[in-house]
Amino acid sequence: MRTVRKPLARTHNRTAYLFLLPWLVGFFCLTLGPMIGSLYLSFTKYNLLDSPRWTGWTNYKEIFSNDPTFSNSLVLTFKYVLLSVPLRLVFALLVAMALNKGIRALGIYRTVYYVPSLLGGSVAISIVWRQIFDSEGVVNTFLGWFGISGPSWIAHPDYLIYPIVALSVWQFGSAMVIFLAGLKQIPADLYEASQVDGAGKARQFFSISLPMLTPVLFFNLIMSIINSFQAFTPAYVIGDGRGGPLDASMFYTLYLYLKGFAYFDMGYASALAWIMLLIIAAFTGIVFATSRYWVFYGDGKEGR
Amino acid sequence: MKKKMLMLGLAALTAVSLTACGNSGGNSANGGNGANSGTGNAPAATNANNGGEQQQVELRMMWWGDQSRADLTNKAIDLFEQKNPNIKITGEFGPSDGYFDKLNTQLASGTAPDIFFLGGNVVDYANKGVLLDLGPYVGKELKLDDMDPSMKEYGTLDGKLVHISAGANARGIVVNKTMFDKAGIPVPQDGWNWDDYARISKEISDKLGKGYYGTYNFTTDGHDIYLKQNGKQLYDMANGKLGFEEADILPWFQYWDKTAKAGGVVTPELQVSNPPADASKSLIVTGKAAMTLLPSNLLGSFQSATQDELIMLQVPRGSKGTGVVFESSQGLSGYAKTKYPNEVAKLMDFWINDPDAAQILGNNRGVPVTSANREVLEASASPTDKIVYDFTSRVSEATTKEPFAVSYNPPGNAEFIKLSDNTVQQIGFGKESVDKAAADFYAGTVKIFESNNQ
Repeated sequence: MRTVRKPLARTHNRTAYLFLLPWLVGFFCLTLGPMIGSLYLSFTKYNLLDSPRWTGWTNYKEIFSNDPTFSNSLVLTFKYVLLSVPLRLVFALLVAMALNKGIRALGIYRTVYYVPSLLGGSVAISIVWRQIFDSEGVVNTFLGWFGISGPSWIAHPDYLIYPIVALSVWQFGSAMVIFLAGLKQIPADLYEASQVDGAGKARQFFSISLPMLTPVLFFNLIMSIINSFQAFTPAYVIGDGRGGPLDASMFYTLYLYLKGFAYFDMGYASALAWIMLLIIAAFTGIVFATSRYWVFYGDGKEGR
Repeated sequence: MKKKMLMLGLAALTAVSLTACGNSGGNSANGGNGANSGTGNAPAATNANNGGEQQQVELRMMWWGDQSRADLTNKAIDLFEQKNPNIKITGEFGPSDGYFDKLNTQLASGTAPDIFFLGGNVVDYANKGVLLDLGPYVGKELKLDDMDPSMKEYGTLDGKLVHISAGANARGIVVNKTMFDKAGIPVPQDGWNWDDYARISKEISDKLGKGYYGTYNFTTDGHDIYLKQNGKQLYDMANGKLGFEEADILPWFQYWDKTAKAGGVVTPELQVSNPPADASKSLIVTGKAAMTLLPSNLLGSFQSATQDELIMLQVPRGSKGTGVVFESSQGLSGYAKTKYPNEVAKLMDFWINDPDAAQILGNNRGVPVTSANREVLEASASPTDKIVYDFTSRVSEATTKEPFAVSYNPPGNAEFIKLSDNTVQQIGFGKESVDKAAADFYAGTVKIFESNNQ
């Protein structure tokens, strides 16, 4: 028997790898290759057009010791992540719960709310956003009805972050769809039982919905963090494309892009990219590490 | 323990692969610009061996600007194709913001267009050896006999001709005359100085009331003019170093700070949302700001966007004069790796020498660089053209009395502009004192210069 089973397993493996091949090719050629390339470049001075010159740790030293734009952009990016991720998730959860009330034509609502997720990253939407938040845009007209004269959202460095965060929150659709699926998974008998025991709506939410949703929340949180750290288009288009005014739209990715493609310093940009990778990996690691304390899988083996 | 390791590994792997996914998404978002790159290089025809018959050639050409400039350029390209049936040209264009990013990316990947426009930043590209040496084609495909010698000189860097100016301009103060009439203030004259400028700006704004301004803040665009007016320069190309010290530029920042605080200068917010050189948004066009610094070739598109009457004056004088010269506005360069250098040279020749091309292109990129084509245009000049010609001849006249060297942008120009804009905004939004901001500006300038000047 054994002699028969082994080759069979091997054939199975071979078939599996064959199916995996497109992904493997993509991963090694399009992802891993360029990543290793950029790791090499990060130790060089490379102006895009001449061949790279090895400079060792110079780029990294420069970034950490003598680059205020780096620290500013990092702070700004953290601010953006810390504002936009929780807001987006809360918003997505609220809408998902509203849609889970068994309303009619759910499919339509789900689609309508999902659309921003597909469009949100596009340049066109960012341009529309610019108009909406312009000093004479829709938002300020609206505020004007209440006698508030709104600031010039997109032109003043102190306010620019808010339209960008708003754009991110507006793209709650994909998180919402996942939350909605999660809510549908929760067995109705839990609610019924709790109702018999006299639990109110709030109690039901905190004791049933939320714990049962934690795996979904966990997934959404990680995806949102990673996406938010890499926000580029809104900063590029809603700002002036050069990080202005006054570096208020100088997100980390935008700074990296400018360094590499506008300022002829691809080595430096590669070093920035690797630092970003480590930061995102660290954040993801932290979320994973803490997950055992708050993610509930409902199969009796909590916090695996 | 094993589980822990596995989990950490998983976490790391997820981070890596998800980051990678995100990255590729981001790339495709900006890659939209360059999506059609790299397709035009393939030789179109198969008759390369057919001896007598001319080979079909496809060139790619790239420029920046708005739709009206694109229409003119495409019309000129059509005419060139008619006259040279064996050459097909694919035009690409974009707004000036992203143009150079796109060009840099294509240069880095070896898919740059065969021929493209550059401005005062030609030095950055010449230094990196990506521009086609046009020397071998001069007198054959490319005839420069009628071209102004100063323009030829401008395109010659490190002893090589790499850039053919496609038009000349001079910077000056564009004045919305209608606003002056409304305010009842006499329109200023050439020969004014910076104190006059600040005073008049404030007067206009005071007379017309809230929401009206005398001038944009053009600290960044005016650096080299101000320095030249005081016997310095931004970039001392001959000696390969910066041409000024911190103390030389500080008064320029102070001047604008003072003028802004007195009133009469467009607020920093408005300047961000209505950039001065954007004809579709500029407050000059909408009649909210009366004056700003502008290259003369843009007057046409500004005037066509407004009913108000616009005129041009020479820049206010400093101790050594106006510091403005009649200089190349922008020009054509070839890609060093182009497969068809002869055709590239032919297209450049057409661009500057062909009278029909001059008729089509007009003064959109500046006044033609050959005297023959200047005459062609002068014969059919519109009123706005006449204002421009009158202005540029006044500038030329002034420079014969008070000559100034033609200037190039310093290496690392894009980063320098960004630094300067930041400095102006730091002062304008009240985040930094003028002295501190100017000191940071100078330190940053030195750093950028050293990093790019190898």
